Amino acid sequence: MTKGSPPNLPYFAGIDIGSTMTKAVVIDAAGNIISAVKGPTGAEHRHLANEVMAKALEAAGLRLEEVGWIVATGYGRFNVPFADEHITELSCHARGVYQLFPNARTVVDIGGQDAKCLKVREGKLVDFAMNDKCAAGTGRFLELTAQSLGIGLEDLAALSLRASKPVEVSNMCTIFAQQEVVLRLSQGERIEDIIAGLHRALAERVAALVRRLGIEPEVVLTGGVAKNAGMVQAMKEALGCSLLVPEEPLLTGALGAALLAMERTQRLLAQGKPLKTKARHLEKATFYTGS
Amino acid sequence: MGWYMGIDIGSTYSKGVLLRDSEPVASSIRLSGIDHRTTADAIRKELLARVESPPQPIEVVATGTGAGNVPFANSQASDIVCTARGINRLFPQARTAMDIGAQSTRVIKLDGRGMVTDFVVSEKCAAGSGRFIEVIANVLRIGLEEFGPLSLQSRNPVAFSTGCAVFGESEAITRVAEGVPKEDIAAGVNLALAAKIASLAKRIGLELPCAICGGGALNQGLTAAVEKELGIKLLVPPEPRTVTALGAAIQAYSGAAA
Repeated sequence: MTKGSPPNLPYFAGIDIGSTMTKAVVIDAAGNIISAVKGPTGAEHRHLANEVMAKALEAAGLRLEEVGWIVATGYGRFNVPFADEHITELSCHARGVYQLFPNARTVVDIGGQDAKCLKVREGKLVDFAMNDKCAAGTGRFLELTAQSLGIGLEDLAALSLRASKPVEVSNMCTIFAQQEVVLRLSQGERIEDIIAGLHRALAERVAALVRRLGIEPEVVLTGGVAKNAGMVQAMKEALGCSLLVPEEPLLTGALGAALLAMERTQRLLAQGKPLKTKARHLEKATFYTGS
Repeated sequence: MGWYMGIDIGSTYSKGVLLRDSEPVASSIRLSGIDHRTTADAIRKELLARVESPPQPIEVVATGTGAGNVPFANSQASDIVCTARGINRLFPQARTAMDIGAQSTRVIKLDGRGMVTDFVVSEKCAAGSGRFIEVIANVLRIGLEEFGPLSLQSRNPVAFSTGCAVFGESEAITRVAEGVPKEDIAAGVNLALAAKIASLAKRIGLELPCAICGGGALNQGLTAAVEKELGIKLLVPPEPRTVTALGAAIQAYSGAAA
Protein backbone atom coordinates (compact mmCIF):
# COMPACT_ATOMS: atom_id res chain seq x y z
CA MET A 1 0.00 0.00 0.00
CA THR A 2 1.07 3.55 -0.55
CA LYS A 3 0.07 6.25 1.77
CA GLY A 4 -0.77 9.86 1.27
CA SER A 5 -3.24 9.58 -1.59
CA PRO A 6 -6.72 8.65 -0.37
CA PRO A 7 -7.73 6.35 -3.29
CA ASN A 8 -5.03 3.92 -2.27
CA LEU A 9 -6.03 3.74 1.36
CA PRO A 10 -7.43 0.28 1.90
CA TYR A 11 -8.47 0.57 5.56
CA PHE A 12 -11.61 1.88 7.20
CA ALA A 13 -12.74 2.32 10.78
CA GLY A 14 -15.94 2.58 12.76
CA ILE A 15 -16.26 3.82 16.32
CA ASP A 16 -19.42 3.33 18.35
CA ILE A 17 -19.79 5.43 21.50
CA GLY A 18 -22.48 3.77 23.55
CA SER A 19 -23.74 4.85 26.95
CA THR A 20 -21.67 2.20 28.68
CA MET A 21 -19.02 0.95 26.24
CA THR A 22 -17.02 2.49 23.41
CA LYS A 23 -16.21 0.11 20.56
CA ALA A 24 -13.88 0.51 17.58
CA VAL A 25 -13.42 -1.75 14.54
CA VAL A 26 -10.86 -1.46 11.75
CA ILE A 27 -11.45 -3.32 8.46
CA ASP A 28 -9.62 -3.76 5.19
CA ALA A 29 -10.97 -3.00 1.72
CA ALA A 30 -12.58 -6.45 1.55
CA GLY A 31 -14.50 -5.87 4.78
CA ASN A 32 -12.37 -8.22 6.86
CA ILE A 33 -11.97 -7.24 10.49
CA ILE A 34 -8.33 -6.30 11.17
CA SER A 35 -8.84 -5.24 14.76
CA ALA A 36 -11.64 -4.67 17.27
CA VAL A 37 -11.35 -2.98 20.65
CA LYS A 38 -13.77 -2.21 23.48
CA GLY A 39 -13.43 0.11 26.43
CA PRO A 40 -15.79 1.58 28.99
CA THR A 41 -17.48 4.90 28.10
CA GLY A 42 -18.63 5.82 31.63
CA ALA A 43 -18.98 9.44 32.76
CA GLU A 44 -15.32 9.70 33.65
CA HIS A 45 -14.19 7.72 30.61
CA ARG A 46 -15.90 9.85 28.05
CA HIS A 47 -12.71 11.49 27.04
CA LEU A 48 -11.18 8.14 26.25
CA ALA A 49 -12.82 7.67 22.84
CA ASN A 50 -9.50 8.53 21.26
CA GLU A 51 -7.71 5.93 23.37
CA VAL A 52 -10.03 3.17 22.18
CA MET A 53 -9.36 4.26 18.61
CA ALA A 54 -5.63 4.42 19.25
CA LYS A 55 -5.70 0.88 20.64
CA ALA A 56 -7.65 -0.38 17.63
CA LEU A 57 -5.07 1.19 15.30
CA GLU A 58 -2.22 -0.24 17.31
CA ALA A 59 -3.77 -3.72 17.22
CA ALA A 60 -4.15 -3.34 13.44
CA GLY A 61 -0.55 -2.10 13.08
CA LEU A 62 -1.78 1.05 11.37
CA ARG A 63 -1.34 4.77 11.72
CA LEU A 64 -4.30 7.10 11.65
CA GLU A 65 -3.32 8.46 8.20
CA GLU A 66 -3.59 4.98 6.75
CA VAL A 67 -7.31 4.82 7.46
CA GLY A 68 -9.32 6.12 4.53
CA TRP A 69 -12.53 7.04 6.27
CA ILE A 70 -13.78 6.93 9.85
CA VAL A 71 -17.45 6.76 10.74
CA ALA A 72 -18.63 7.49 14.27
CA THR A 73 -21.92 6.15 15.58
CA GLY A 74 -23.75 5.64 18.88
CA TYR A 75 -25.22 8.23 21.21
CA GLY A 76 -21.85 9.92 21.66
CA ARG A 77 -21.01 9.99 17.94
CA PHE A 78 -20.88 13.78 17.72
CA ASN A 79 -18.14 13.79 20.29
CA VAL A 80 -15.52 12.10 18.14
CA PRO A 81 -13.40 14.87 16.68
CA PHE A 82 -11.36 12.55 14.48
CA ALA A 83 -14.40 11.08 12.68
CA ASP A 84 -15.02 11.95 9.03
CA GLU A 85 -18.72 11.28 9.26
CA HIS A 86 -21.50 10.56 11.77
CA ILE A 87 -24.12 7.90 11.02
CA THR A 88 -26.98 6.83 13.33
CA GLU A 89 -26.50 3.62 15.28
CA LEU A 90 -29.63 2.21 13.68
CA SER A 91 -28.08 2.27 10.19
CA CYS A 92 -24.76 1.00 11.51
CA HIS A 93 -26.32 -1.86 13.45
CA ALA A 94 -28.36 -2.88 10.45
CA ARG A 95 -25.25 -2.94 8.27
CA GLY A 96 -23.10 -4.72 10.84
CA VAL A 97 -25.66 -7.45 11.43
CA TYR A 98 -26.09 -7.97 7.68
CA GLN A 99 -22.39 -8.71 7.38
CA LEU A 100 -22.63 -11.45 10.00
CA PHE A 101 -26.14 -12.76 9.31
CA PRO A 102 -27.27 -11.90 5.77
CA ASN A 103 -30.72 -13.40 6.31
CA ALA A 104 -31.51 -11.37 9.44
CA ARG A 105 -34.91 -9.67 9.39
CA THR A 106 -35.26 -8.67 13.05
CA VAL A 107 -32.50 -7.28 15.25
CA VAL A 108 -32.95 -6.87 18.98
CA ASP A 109 -30.26 -4.74 20.59
CA ILE A 110 -30.23 -4.41 24.38
CA GLY A 111 -27.71 -1.85 25.52
CA GLY A 112 -26.70 -0.40 28.84
CA GLN A 113 -29.21 2.41 28.65
CA ASP A 114 -31.66 1.59 25.89
CA ALA A 115 -33.22 -1.23 23.91
CA LYS A 116 -34.01 -1.21 20.23
CA CYS A 117 -35.77 -3.46 17.78
CA LEU A 118 -34.82 -3.07 14.12
CA LYS A 119 -36.59 -4.56 11.14
CA VAL A 120 -33.96 -4.99 8.43
CA ARG A 121 -33.71 -6.24 4.88
CA GLU A 122 -30.36 -6.81 3.26
CA GLY A 123 -28.63 -4.51 5.67
CA LYS A 124 -31.11 -1.68 5.26
CA LEU A 125 -33.29 -0.39 8.04
CA VAL A 126 -37.01 -0.88 7.31
CA ASP A 127 -38.57 0.03 10.66
CA PHE A 128 -37.60 0.34 14.29
CA ALA A 129 -38.88 0.84 17.82
CA MET A 130 -36.85 1.82 20.83
CA ASN A 131 -37.02 2.48 24.54
CA ASP A 132 -34.65 4.98 26.04
CA LYS A 133 -37.13 6.61 28.41
CA CYS A 134 -37.37 4.00 31.14
CA ALA A 135 -34.58 1.95 32.68
CA ALA A 136 -36.82 -1.12 32.88
CA GLY A 137 -36.26 -2.94 29.60
CA THR A 138 -32.61 -1.92 29.29
CA GLY A 139 -29.34 -3.36 30.57
CA ARG A 140 -29.56 -0.87 33.40
CA PHE A 141 -32.36 -2.94 34.95
CA LEU A 142 -30.06 -5.95 35.34
CA GLU A 143 -27.10 -3.85 36.35
CA LEU A 144 -28.91 -2.20 39.27
CA THR A 145 -30.87 -5.20 40.47
CA ALA A 146 -27.73 -7.36 40.37
CA GLN A 147 -25.98 -4.64 42.35
CA SER A 148 -28.74 -4.79 44.99
CA LEU A 149 -28.08 -8.51 45.26
CA GLY A 150 -24.32 -7.97 45.46
CA ILE A 151 -23.75 -9.90 42.22
CA GLY A 152 -21.43 -8.82 39.40
CA LEU A 153 -22.84 -8.68 35.85
CA GLU A 154 -20.39 -11.35 34.75
CA ASP A 155 -21.84 -13.85 37.24
CA LEU A 156 -25.48 -13.42 36.23
CA ALA A 157 -25.49 -15.96 33.40
CA ALA A 158 -23.99 -18.86 35.33
CA LEU A 159 -26.25 -18.23 38.32
CA SER A 160 -29.45 -17.89 36.30
CA LEU A 161 -28.79 -21.08 34.37
CA ARG A 162 -28.74 -22.95 37.70
CA ALA A 163 -32.22 -21.74 38.60
CA SER A 164 -34.87 -24.36 39.27
CA LYS A 165 -37.90 -22.16 39.88
CA PRO A 166 -37.58 -18.56 38.63
CA VAL A 167 -39.09 -16.05 41.02
CA GLU A 168 -41.79 -13.82 39.62
CA VAL A 169 -40.59 -10.22 39.75
CA SER A 170 -43.80 -8.22 39.91
CA ASN A 171 -42.32 -4.73 39.77
CA MET A 172 -41.53 -3.37 36.35
CA CYS A 173 -39.85 -0.24 37.71
CA THR A 174 -36.13 -0.81 38.27
CA ILE A 175 -36.14 1.00 41.59
CA PHE A 176 -39.10 -0.94 42.94
CA ALA A 177 -37.62 -4.19 41.57
CA GLN A 178 -34.40 -3.47 43.48
CA GLN A 179 -36.40 -3.42 46.72
CA GLU A 180 -38.39 -6.45 45.68
CA VAL A 181 -35.35 -8.66 45.05
CA VAL A 182 -33.80 -7.77 48.39
CA LEU A 183 -37.11 -8.63 50.06
CA ARG A 184 -37.25 -11.94 48.14
CA LEU A 185 -33.75 -12.77 49.30
CA SER A 186 -34.73 -12.06 52.91
CA GLN A 187 -37.74 -14.33 52.44
CA GLY A 188 -35.35 -17.15 51.66
CA GLU A 189 -35.69 -17.37 47.88
CA ARG A 190 -32.58 -18.75 46.17
CA ILE A 191 -30.45 -16.13 44.48
CA GLU A 192 -30.32 -18.24 41.28
CA ASP A 193 -34.11 -18.21 41.09
CA ILE A 194 -34.28 -14.46 41.72
CA ILE A 195 -31.75 -13.76 38.98
CA ALA A 196 -33.58 -16.00 36.53
CA GLY A 197 -36.74 -14.07 37.46
CA LEU A 198 -34.99 -10.77 36.68
CA HIS A 199 -33.87 -12.11 33.31
CA ARG A 200 -37.45 -13.11 32.54
CA ALA A 201 -38.77 -9.71 33.59
CA LEU A 202 -36.31 -7.87 31.34
CA ALA A 203 -36.91 -10.29 28.47
CA GLU A 204 -40.68 -9.82 28.70
CA ARG A 205 -40.31 -6.07 28.64
CA VAL A 206 -38.06 -6.12 25.57
CA ALA A 207 -40.25 -8.77 23.88
CA ALA A 208 -43.22 -6.40 24.15
CA LEU A 209 -41.21 -3.83 22.17
CA VAL A 210 -40.28 -6.46 19.56
CA ARG A 211 -43.87 -7.68 19.20
CA ARG A 212 -44.97 -4.16 18.37
CA LEU A 213 -42.97 -4.45 15.16
CA GLY A 214 -43.56 -8.16 14.59
CA ILE A 215 -41.12 -11.03 14.92
CA GLU A 216 -39.72 -12.09 11.56
CA PRO A 217 -36.95 -14.69 11.32
CA GLU A 218 -34.06 -14.70 11.38
CA VAL A 219 -33.85 -12.88 14.67
CA VAL A 220 -30.48 -11.57 15.90
CA LEU A 221 -29.73 -10.47 19.44
CA THR A 222 -26.96 -7.89 19.95
CA GLY A 223 -25.75 -5.44 22.58
CA GLY A 224 -23.95 -6.07 25.84
CA VAL A 225 -26.88 -7.95 27.33
CA ALA A 226 -26.49 -10.61 24.60
CA LYS A 227 -23.22 -11.65 26.26
CA ASN A 228 -25.31 -13.01 29.11
CA ALA A 229 -26.31 -16.59 28.19
CA GLY A 230 -29.10 -16.47 30.76
CA MET A 231 -30.61 -13.47 29.00
CA VAL A 232 -30.27 -15.12 25.58
CA GLN A 233 -32.21 -18.09 26.94
CA ALA A 234 -34.85 -15.82 28.52
CA MET A 235 -35.22 -13.84 25.27
CA LYS A 236 -35.70 -17.07 23.29
CA GLU A 237 -38.47 -18.07 25.66
CA ALA A 238 -40.09 -14.64 25.69
CA LEU A 239 -40.05 -14.33 21.88
CA GLY A 240 -40.82 -18.00 21.29
CA CYS A 241 -38.20 -18.34 18.55
CA SER A 242 -34.56 -19.16 18.08
CA LEU A 243 -31.98 -16.40 18.20
CA LEU A 244 -28.69 -15.77 16.46
CA VAL A 245 -26.05 -14.12 18.59
CA PRO A 246 -22.82 -12.71 17.13
CA GLU A 247 -19.60 -13.92 18.68
CA GLU A 248 -18.97 -10.32 19.74
CA PRO A 249 -22.46 -8.87 20.22
CA LEU A 250 -21.12 -5.47 21.29
CA LEU A 251 -19.30 -4.84 18.04
CA THR A 252 -22.03 -4.87 15.35
CA GLY A 253 -22.53 -1.11 15.48
CA ALA A 254 -18.83 -0.31 15.11
CA LEU A 255 -18.47 -3.00 12.42
CA GLY A 256 -21.41 -1.53 10.52
CA ALA A 257 -19.89 1.94 10.83
CA ALA A 258 -16.60 0.68 9.35
CA LEU A 259 -18.43 -1.09 6.50
CA LEU A 260 -20.46 2.02 5.71
CA ALA A 261 -17.20 3.99 5.66
CA MET A 262 -15.78 1.48 3.19
CA GLU A 263 -18.84 1.48 0.93
CA ARG A 264 -19.10 5.22 0.90
CA THR A 265 -15.48 5.54 -0.10
CA GLN A 266 -15.80 2.93 -2.82
CA ARG A 267 -18.94 4.60 -4.16
CA LEU A 268 -17.25 7.99 -4.35
CA LEU A 269 -14.20 6.51 -6.03
CA ALA A 270 -16.35 4.64 -8.55
CA GLN A 271 -18.01 7.95 -9.43
CA GLY A 272 -14.57 9.47 -9.85
CA LYS A 273 -15.26 11.94 -7.04
CA PRO A 274 -12.49 12.96 -4.71
CA LEU A 275 -12.61 11.90 -1.08
CA LYS A 276 -12.63 14.80 1.27
CA THR A 277 -10.31 13.93 4.09
CA LYS A 278 -9.54 16.43 6.76
CA ALA A 279 -6.38 16.59 8.78
CA ARG A 280 -6.99 14.23 11.67
CA HIS A 281 -5.29 13.54 14.90
CA LEU A 282 -6.38 11.68 17.99
CA GLU A 283 -7.15 14.56 20.25
CA LYS A 284 -9.23 14.30 23.38
CA ALA A 285 -12.89 14.00 22.60
CA THR A 286 -14.93 17.10 23.32
CA PHE A 287 -18.36 16.46 24.66
CA TYR A 288 -21.44 18.55 24.35
CA THR A 289 -22.24 20.36 27.51
CA GLY A 290 -24.93 22.61 26.06
CA SER A 291 -28.58 21.74 25.40
CA MET B 1 -67.78 6.97 75.42
CA GLY B 2 -65.70 4.86 73.04
CA TRP B 3 -62.10 4.71 71.86
CA TYR B 4 -61.09 4.07 68.25
CA MET B 5 -57.71 3.60 66.62
CA GLY B 6 -56.53 3.78 63.03
CA ILE B 7 -53.19 2.24 62.06
CA ASP B 8 -51.75 2.93 58.59
CA ILE B 9 -48.70 0.79 57.75
CA GLY B 10 -47.08 2.45 54.74
CA SER B 11 -44.08 1.36 52.70
CA THR B 12 -41.78 3.80 54.52
CA TYR B 13 -43.67 5.29 57.48
CA SER B 14 -46.39 3.88 59.70
CA LYS B 15 -48.94 6.17 61.25
CA GLY B 16 -51.51 5.89 64.02
CA VAL B 17 -54.39 8.07 65.22
CA LEU B 18 -56.46 7.59 68.39
CA LEU B 19 -60.02 8.94 68.64
CA ARG B 20 -62.15 9.45 71.73
CA ASP B 21 -65.58 9.09 70.23
CA SER B 22 -65.06 10.98 66.99
CA GLU B 23 -62.37 13.38 68.25
CA PRO B 24 -58.64 12.81 67.59
CA VAL B 25 -56.68 12.81 70.87
CA ALA B 26 -53.28 11.40 69.83
CA SER B 27 -51.22 10.58 66.76
CA SER B 28 -47.94 8.81 66.10
CA ILE B 29 -45.53 8.40 63.17
CA ARG B 30 -42.71 5.85 62.98
CA LEU B 31 -40.52 4.29 60.31
CA SER B 32 -42.17 1.08 59.14
CA GLY B 33 -38.92 -0.87 59.18
CA ILE B 34 -38.87 -4.50 58.15
CA ASP B 35 -40.91 -5.78 61.08
CA HIS B 36 -44.35 -4.24 60.66
CA ARG B 37 -45.83 -6.08 63.64
CA THR B 38 -43.35 -4.59 66.06
CA THR B 39 -43.87 -1.16 64.53
CA ALA B 40 -47.66 -1.45 64.77
CA ASP B 41 -47.41 -2.49 68.38
CA ALA B 42 -45.06 0.40 69.19
CA ILE B 43 -47.53 2.84 67.63
CA ARG B 44 -50.41 1.36 69.64
CA LYS B 45 -48.45 1.68 72.89
CA GLU B 46 -47.37 5.22 72.08
CA LEU B 47 -50.95 6.32 71.34
CA LEU B 48 -52.27 4.75 74.55
CA ALA B 49 -49.47 6.29 76.60
CA ARG B 50 -50.70 9.71 75.50
CA VAL B 51 -54.01 9.37 77.29
CA GLU B 52 -54.76 8.92 80.98
CA SER B 53 -56.09 5.55 82.09
CA PRO B 54 -55.64 3.57 78.85
CA PRO B 55 -59.04 2.58 77.55
CA GLN B 56 -60.21 -1.01 77.07
CA PRO B 57 -61.67 -2.35 74.91
CA ILE B 58 -60.69 -0.44 71.84
CA GLU B 59 -61.80 -0.77 68.22
CA VAL B 60 -58.86 -0.83 65.77
CA VAL B 61 -58.89 -0.57 61.97
CA ALA B 62 -55.68 -1.23 60.03
CA THR B 63 -54.90 0.07 56.54
CA GLY B 64 -51.97 0.62 54.18
CA THR B 65 -49.67 -1.84 52.40
CA GLY B 66 -48.90 -3.62 55.68
CA ALA B 67 -52.49 -3.73 56.99
CA GLY B 68 -52.23 -7.49 57.32
CA ASN B 69 -49.41 -7.14 59.85
CA VAL B 70 -51.48 -5.54 62.59
CA PRO B 71 -52.57 -8.55 64.67
CA PHE B 72 -54.51 -6.49 67.21
CA ALA B 73 -56.72 -4.86 64.55
CA ASN B 74 -60.39 -5.78 64.56
CA SER B 75 -60.62 -5.24 60.82
CA GLN B 76 -58.83 -3.92 57.75
CA ALA B 77 -59.95 -1.17 55.42
CA SER B 78 -58.77 -0.04 52.00
CA ASP B 79 -56.35 2.88 52.10
CA ILE B 80 -58.36 4.60 49.36
CA VAL B 81 -61.45 4.58 51.58
CA CYS B 82 -59.47 5.72 54.63
CA THR B 83 -57.76 8.59 52.80
CA ALA B 84 -61.15 9.80 51.56
CA ARG B 85 -62.57 9.58 55.09
CA GLY B 86 -59.64 11.45 56.58
CA ILE B 87 -59.72 14.22 53.98
CA ASN B 88 -63.48 14.55 54.39
CA ARG B 89 -63.05 15.06 58.13
CA LEU B 90 -60.43 17.79 57.63
CA PHE B 91 -61.91 19.39 54.52
CA PRO B 92 -65.60 18.47 54.12
CA GLN B 93 -65.76 20.61 50.97
CA ALA B 94 -62.97 18.66 49.18
CA ARG B 95 -64.07 16.69 46.12
CA THR B 96 -60.63 15.40 45.12
CA ALA B 97 -57.87 14.04 47.39
CA MET B 98 -54.29 13.48 46.24
CA ASP B 99 -52.08 11.22 48.30
CA ILE B 100 -48.36 11.37 47.51
CA GLY B 101 -46.77 8.38 49.18
CA ALA B 102 -43.27 6.97 49.17
CA GLN B 103 -44.16 4.31 46.60
CA SER B 104 -47.42 5.38 45.02
CA THR B 105 -49.53 8.35 44.09
CA ARG B 106 -53.30 8.13 44.42
CA VAL B 107 -55.94 10.55 43.23
CA ILE B 108 -59.35 9.95 44.78
CA LYS B 109 -62.69 11.60 44.04
CA LEU B 110 -65.09 11.79 46.94
CA ASP B 111 -68.52 13.12 47.77
CA GLY B 112 -69.67 15.36 50.64
CA ARG B 113 -69.96 12.38 52.99
CA GLY B 114 -66.41 11.23 52.30
CA MET B 115 -67.51 8.32 50.12
CA VAL B 116 -65.19 7.37 47.27
CA THR B 117 -66.72 7.96 43.83
CA ASP B 118 -63.64 7.16 41.73
CA PHE B 119 -59.89 6.77 42.10
CA VAL B 120 -56.69 6.19 40.15
CA VAL B 121 -53.39 4.82 41.46
CA SER B 122 -49.87 5.16 40.07
CA GLU B 123 -47.61 2.59 41.68
CA LYS B 124 -45.72 1.10 38.76
CA CYS B 125 -43.07 3.76 38.41
CA ALA B 126 -40.80 5.33 41.01
CA ALA B 127 -40.79 8.59 39.05
CA GLY B 128 -44.50 8.96 39.81
CA SER B 129 -44.10 8.74 43.58
CA GLY B 130 -42.26 10.33 46.47
CA ARG B 131 -39.50 7.84 45.79
CA PHE B 132 -38.20 10.04 42.98
CA ILE B 133 -37.69 12.85 45.53
CA GLU B 134 -35.83 10.45 47.85
CA VAL B 135 -33.54 9.27 45.03
CA ILE B 136 -32.60 12.82 44.02
CA ALA B 137 -32.31 14.08 47.62
CA ASN B 138 -29.74 11.33 48.04
CA VAL B 139 -27.79 12.56 44.99
CA LEU B 140 -27.92 16.13 46.33
CA ARG B 141 -27.00 14.89 49.81
CA ILE B 142 -29.83 16.78 51.44
CA GLY B 143 -32.54 15.68 53.87
CA LEU B 144 -36.11 15.26 52.61
CA GLU B 145 -37.22 18.14 54.84
CA GLU B 146 -34.78 20.46 53.05
CA PHE B 147 -36.02 19.50 49.60
CA GLY B 148 -39.10 21.76 49.44
CA PRO B 149 -37.57 24.96 50.86
CA LEU B 150 -34.46 24.51 48.69
CA SER B 151 -36.47 23.99 45.51
CA LEU B 152 -38.47 27.16 46.15
CA GLN B 153 -35.23 29.19 45.84
CA SER B 154 -34.72 28.04 42.25
CA ARG B 155 -34.86 30.54 39.41
CA ASN B 156 -33.97 28.14 36.63
CA PRO B 157 -35.34 24.62 37.20
CA VAL B 158 -33.59 21.79 35.37
CA ALA B 159 -35.70 20.01 32.75
CA PHE B 160 -35.43 16.24 33.10
CA SER B 161 -35.38 14.53 29.72
CA THR B 162 -37.03 11.23 30.69
CA GLY B 163 -39.76 10.24 33.09
CA CYS B 164 -37.61 7.58 34.75
CA ALA B 165 -36.18 7.85 38.26
CA VAL B 166 -33.12 5.75 37.34
CA PHE B 167 -32.24 7.90 34.33
CA GLY B 168 -33.25 10.98 36.34
CA GLU B 169 -30.69 10.03 38.97
CA SER B 170 -27.95 9.81 36.29
CA GLU B 171 -29.05 13.16 34.90
CA ALA B 172 -28.96 14.75 38.35
CA ILE B 173 -25.42 13.41 38.88
CA THR B 174 -24.37 14.89 35.52
CA ARG B 175 -25.94 18.27 36.38
CA VAL B 176 -24.22 18.32 39.77
CA ALA B 177 -20.91 17.65 38.00
CA GLU B 178 -21.65 20.51 35.62
CA GLY B 179 -22.08 22.82 38.57
CA VAL B 180 -25.84 23.35 38.27
CA PRO B 181 -27.14 24.69 41.63
CA LYS B 182 -28.84 22.12 43.86
CA GLU B 183 -32.02 24.17 44.07
CA ASP B 184 -32.45 24.06 40.28
CA ILE B 185 -32.14 20.26 40.30
CA ALA B 186 -34.57 19.93 43.24
CA ALA B 187 -37.05 22.25 41.54
CA GLY B 188 -36.73 20.26 38.31
CA VAL B 189 -37.62 17.03 40.14
CA ASN B 190 -40.64 18.69 41.75
CA LEU B 191 -41.80 19.87 38.33
CA ALA B 192 -41.35 16.41 36.82
CA LEU B 193 -43.28 14.73 39.63
CA ALA B 194 -45.95 17.45 39.61
CA ALA B 195 -46.50 16.85 35.89
CA LYS B 196 -47.12 13.16 36.57
CA ILE B 197 -49.51 13.91 39.44
CA ALA B 198 -51.35 16.46 37.33
CA SER B 199 -51.78 14.04 34.43
CA LEU B 200 -53.14 11.44 36.84
CA ALA B 201 -55.61 14.02 38.20
CA LYS B 202 -56.67 15.04 34.70
CA ARG B 203 -57.17 11.42 33.74
CA ILE B 204 -59.76 10.97 36.47
CA GLY B 205 -61.32 14.42 35.99
CA LEU B 206 -60.23 16.84 38.67
CA GLU B 207 -63.07 18.29 40.75
CA LEU B 208 -62.51 21.21 43.10
CA PRO B 209 -61.70 21.87 45.84
CA CYS B 210 -58.72 19.52 45.84
CA ALA B 211 -56.77 18.47 48.94
CA ILE B 212 -53.31 16.89 49.08
CA CYS B 213 -51.89 14.56 51.72
CA GLY B 214 -49.19 11.95 52.27
CA GLY B 215 -45.51 12.63 52.95
CA GLY B 216 -45.14 14.34 49.58
CA ALA B 217 -47.48 17.12 50.74
CA LEU B 218 -44.78 18.22 53.22
CA ASN B 219 -42.69 19.28 50.22
CA GLN B 220 -43.89 22.85 49.61
CA GLY B 221 -42.00 22.97 46.33
CA LEU B 222 -44.02 19.99 45.10
CA THR B 223 -47.39 21.34 46.22
CA ALA B 224 -46.57 24.70 44.61
CA ALA B 225 -45.58 22.91 41.39
CA VAL B 226 -48.84 20.89 41.37
CA GLU B 227 -50.82 24.08 41.96
CA LYS B 228 -49.06 25.80 39.09
CA GLU B 229 -49.36 22.81 36.76
CA LEU B 230 -53.13 22.53 37.36
CA GLY B 231 -53.79 26.23 37.92
CA ILE B 232 -55.53 25.54 41.23
CA LYS B 233 -55.08 26.11 44.95
CA LEU B 234 -54.62 23.00 47.09
CA LEU B 235 -55.93 22.34 50.57
CA VAL B 236 -53.01 21.12 52.70
CA PRO B 237 -53.59 19.65 56.18
CA PRO B 238 -51.25 20.72 58.99
CA GLU B 239 -50.03 17.10 59.29
CA PRO B 240 -50.55 15.49 55.88
CA ARG B 241 -48.98 12.15 56.82
CA THR B 242 -51.61 10.97 59.32
CA VAL B 243 -54.69 11.64 57.15
CA THR B 244 -55.16 8.01 56.12
CA ALA B 245 -54.67 6.77 59.71
CA LEU B 246 -57.26 9.34 60.82
CA GLY B 247 -59.60 7.94 58.18
CA ALA B 248 -58.99 4.41 59.47
CA ALA B 249 -59.85 5.54 63.00
CA ILE B 250 -63.03 7.17 61.69
CA GLN B 251 -63.85 3.87 59.96
CA ALA B 252 -63.46 2.14 63.34
CA TYR B 253 -65.75 4.72 64.92
CA SER B 254 -68.44 4.55 62.26
CA GLY B 255 -68.20 0.74 62.11
CA ALA B 256 -68.81 0.57 65.85
CA ALA B 257 -71.61 3.14 65.63
CA ALA B 258 -73.37 1.23 62.86
